[in-house]
Amino acid sequence: MNKQSIRFLIVEDDEMIRLIHKDFLRDLYPESEIIEAENGAQGICHYFESQPNIILLDMMMPIMGGETFLDILEEGHHCNILKNNPKIIVVTAIKDVKELMSIGKRFAVEAVISKPLVQNQLKSLLEDWIP
Amino acid sequence: MKSTIPQNDDFIDVPVFEFEKALKRVHQKKDLLKRVLDIFVNSLSERINAIKTELNNENWQSLESLAHSTKGSSWTIGAQQLGDISYAMEKAAYNKDIRLYNDLFLIFQDSVQRFLEVEKKMND
Repeated sequence: MNKQSIRFLIVEDDEMIRLIHKDFLRDLYPESEIIEAENGAQGICHYFESQPNIILLDMMMPIMGGETFLDILEEGHHCNILKNNPKIIVVTAIKDVKELMSIGKRFAVEAVISKPLVQNQLKSLLEDWIP
Repeated sequence: MKSTIPQNDDFIDVPVFEFEKALKRVHQKKDLLKRVLDIFVNSLSERINAIKTELNNENWQSLESLAHSTKGSSWTIGAQQLGDISYAMEKAAYNKDIRLYNDLFLIFQDSVQRFLEVEKKMND
């Protein structure tokens, strides 16, 4: 991954949090492409269209939540419909530790970060992947 | 003996709005904080109306989801009191406790007023 061609997908129903994520990513990687989705269903469409490298995913969203989003992605990869392997960072306000651990084991999930997001956590993760 | 019914006082020590925390979340960008706060403030009446509707229908999944979403937004923006009340509402919805949810919802609406007053003072 390099800074110039990186594509982010933000899947988050809260407009306010999307704006904060977007501003943060824009500061870190000014040349990146940032795509936004308000729920998992939109996220899947954008995923097929844009093949993002990194996804910031909320779990509880109306219409389609993060669980179903991950199910579809996993199925797509098993069936070889989706070729690339995205890195998914789940950003969630879920507090139940067991639930968080189970999310962490899901397909392509590289990290689970609690809301409110501490941006330094996200920054250090991204800097490992995009030097 | 302490009443099990939640009261406004149960949350009164929790800060209504933590400006410094909010500013830190937006990397000290005051203009971004203003935009974010505008979105949050504008969403509050919509959230209250949605909760009222779902309470009438006793739609627990939606009530839990609405409280969960409000919790995340509130904590992100430094509205600690609203976030803590929303968290209690989320748990009440999970347990399908209509009485508790209703009591907490009243406290939530009072807390919204307190938040709006603080936010207005900050803008003046």
